[in-house]
Amino acid sequence: MSEVVKLQLIGLSVVGCGILILLFIRASFVRVIGFVVIVLGLFTLVALSVPQMASLPPVEEKFDIATVKTPTDMATIGQKIFFSKGQCALCHTIGPSESARCPDLKGIGAKLSREFLFESLTQPQAYIYLDYRHEGVAKEYPAKMPYINKNPIGLSRNEILSVIAFLQQMSGEPISVTVAELDAPAAPTKAAQSGPVAVTQAY
Amino acid sequence: MRHQGGWIQRLLRSGSDHGGTLLGLVVAAGLLSLPALVFGADAAPAAATEYRDVPYVGSRNIVWVVAQLHLLLAGFVLGVPIFAWLCEIVGWKSGEKRYDKLAKEFTKLLTSAYATTALFGGILLFLLISFYPKLMNYLTDIFFPSFIVYCILFLVETATLYLYWYGWDAMQDGGKKTFHIFLGFMLNFFAFFIMIVPNSWATFQASPVVLAEGSDMARAWAATWNPTWWPVNIHRLIANVVLGGYICGAYAGIRYLSAKNTEERDHYDWMGYVGNFIGVFGLLALPFAGYWLMREVYQYNQQMGITLMGGFLSWLFILQAMLIGVLFLGSNYYFWLGITYRIPGSEMKYRKPMLAMLIVLLLCLGVWMTPHSLVASMEEARKMGGSHHPLLGVFGVMSAKMTVANLMILVTFMSFIMYWRAGKQETAGWAKVAKAIMGGVLASAAIAVIVLGVWGYFVPAIIRINLFSTSQVLIVLGVMLTITPLTALLLRSAKTTTEMVWGKMPPRAGYSLVLNAVMVVLLMTLMGYARSSSRVHWHVYGVLRDTSPYAFSPALGSAAAIMALCTFFFCMLVAFIFWVATMGDKAKAPSASSKSELPQGMPAMAGASSALDEPKAPKF
Repeated sequence: MSEVVKLQLIGLSVVGCGILILLFIRASFVRVIGFVVIVLGLFTLVALSVPQMASLPPVEEKFDIATVKTPTDMATIGQKIFFSKGQCALCHTIGPSESARCPDLKGIGAKLSREFLFESLTQPQAYIYLDYRHEGVAKEYPAKMPYINKNPIGLSRNEILSVIAFLQQMSGEPISVTVAELDAPAAPTKAAQSGPVAVTQAY
Repeated sequence: MRHQGGWIQRLLRSGSDHGGTLLGLVVAAGLLSLPALVFGADAAPAAATEYRDVPYVGSRNIVWVVAQLHLLLAGFVLGVPIFAWLCEIVGWKSGEKRYDKLAKEFTKLLTSAYATTALFGGILLFLLISFYPKLMNYLTDIFFPSFIVYCILFLVETATLYLYWYGWDAMQDGGKKTFHIFLGFMLNFFAFFIMIVPNSWATFQASPVVLAEGSDMARAWAATWNPTWWPVNIHRLIANVVLGGYICGAYAGIRYLSAKNTEERDHYDWMGYVGNFIGVFGLLALPFAGYWLMREVYQYNQQMGITLMGGFLSWLFILQAMLIGVLFLGSNYYFWLGITYRIPGSEMKYRKPMLAMLIVLLLCLGVWMTPHSLVASMEEARKMGGSHHPLLGVFGVMSAKMTVANLMILVTFMSFIMYWRAGKQETAGWAKVAKAIMGGVLASAAIAVIVLGVWGYFVPAIIRINLFSTSQVLIVLGVMLTITPLTALLLRSAKTTTEMVWGKMPPRAGYSLVLNAVMVVLLMTLMGYARSSSRVHWHVYGVLRDTSPYAFSPALGSAAAIMALCTFFFCMLVAFIFWVATMGDKAKAPSASSKSELPQGMPAMAGASSALDEPKAPKF
């Protein structure tokens, strides 16, 4: 029996108890308790009827440099990071979208140099990418691009290079990032575990 | 230690009749929490421990329940003084003693309620130190100057409360009453700061800021002044008023249901009316504060905003819509029952408007509860052409939800005005013009809100959020700020055509008051879960990662079970506090209140009191 079913049975039992109290007990205060119990039971049952999604902490991507042989391997890892730890897809789309909050990244690897991409990820305020989709003066996008190499996302240099490789591959460009550029295994790869020594979230 | 012991003894003596009960509660709760600490101590060695756990139950669940109860009780003890002080002012200004009596009745709760709240605060602190030493060390390192401020605030708050409560009867006349009102203001003033200091600790966890090197005070101040601090402060202040009002209403509802005679029915019917009035008064403003908070969250960190509104917590907002919808319906229903049963002859006059408002509220609730994407099988999704329903999908977006939320506020405001004006005949020469203006303002506002809502589908999100949604909020606020004073002016010279009759409400009115209070408490527990879960796997977002086995946020169903449990415990605790506080009254006052203090006419709080026509004339 799953946890949801168990909780549903408990919820139904609670509602049943409340109904019994209302049917057979005359004391006002106890009847009010019965009423409250019914309300709370129904609330729990409704909450159990919607999709049950728990938020699990992300599995920290282990960047095993030994498995990376070619730039294509880097792009494959970069694609995973783009849609998971990097959280890029939360705001960016690949292809036009009505609800895009941030620039569409389709073909971005062909439009921008790898140096510019790296700077955009690590110093996002260095150059503001404007939204020209309105009439009149271009406007800044509502969302400020976070520093990808700092918490809470905290990608390592190797991970950022892999994301750039993915962006270039996705744009049909030759991947200009090479395996030789990756940091040695001893280099820190988990910036997210920098610990509570400093608060880095900029505002 | 000797000094501390003396303080405790004095505190116990001050409890007079109930000291033993309170002491028993403290000891019992302390004993109950001891096994948890022992389990925790057994779970891991004390040295270099980041977390401790409790087998089977889980340390996180224990902290969750205790923290939630502490927060709800804190909301109660901060909301009740606001409620009591407002009632005292109304009584002072209108000369109606029953308001003063009501204020005193609720202030009496505070001594025992404060003790219970502090008790849970103490238990929570011990549990946090035991189970989350890493987090507590980190927060203490930043915030310890504000811990001291917090302690000082508690001392002055307690002293003010004693003066306010024990000086009530001695400060009833002339300048003394003015001083007593001032004490009430100071009580709320200190209480506000008692609320915002710990708010800074919690909001820092959600929206930490850069802490430059500097003095301890400078670092604490920088951490305190984080982006979500003031939005949460304002949101909680208003929410506490709402909680205080609805808890008062629920208490009145229960007493009304068990009333033994006409006097009691009259009194508690009137008390329920006042509680609902203040609850709705705060409720109308609460969504605006919530909107501001969400805007700040989005501005601070878009990912956090998306986690809340579009990520795994998105279904939570459907539940929130359901609870708010029931609360709006319950509050309106109580108004409509009041018009029907308290103002003879009004039932037929207002039946059609009430029916129309009910339909609008239900339609709005339906739209608000429409999810953005539906739970569908593959086959169903294929038929729909995606996870969005071709028709209902239109209602699942923010533009539609903002529109219906504003319309529901407008409808509730109309109910409120309708009740206020019922049984009154305006006599001012400009009454017709004023009524036409009010009708025009309401109709224009409703149309403008709908037009902006529909238009919102055709503009980029940034324009909708920054311009259209803000305009909708300002329009509704403008309606309230225009019509409320206009109605008050209009009714100042109005004459009563139908005398208000108290004590005739059906039993379902009492249950609707209880329902409203339960909805408010459930909403607080639900949004507490949302706020905490928005930090996902971080104790301090982006800074201090949660590496415990409880770094996950549970699914809504199991979270709702704990919320329901917390709500039930809180209701029982509040019932206990009311019981303890009123035990002495029952023993020493067997006879009912004197006839001269019976409710008479419509309360001055609504601005249409028959007592305002003839302030000192008894109506019975």
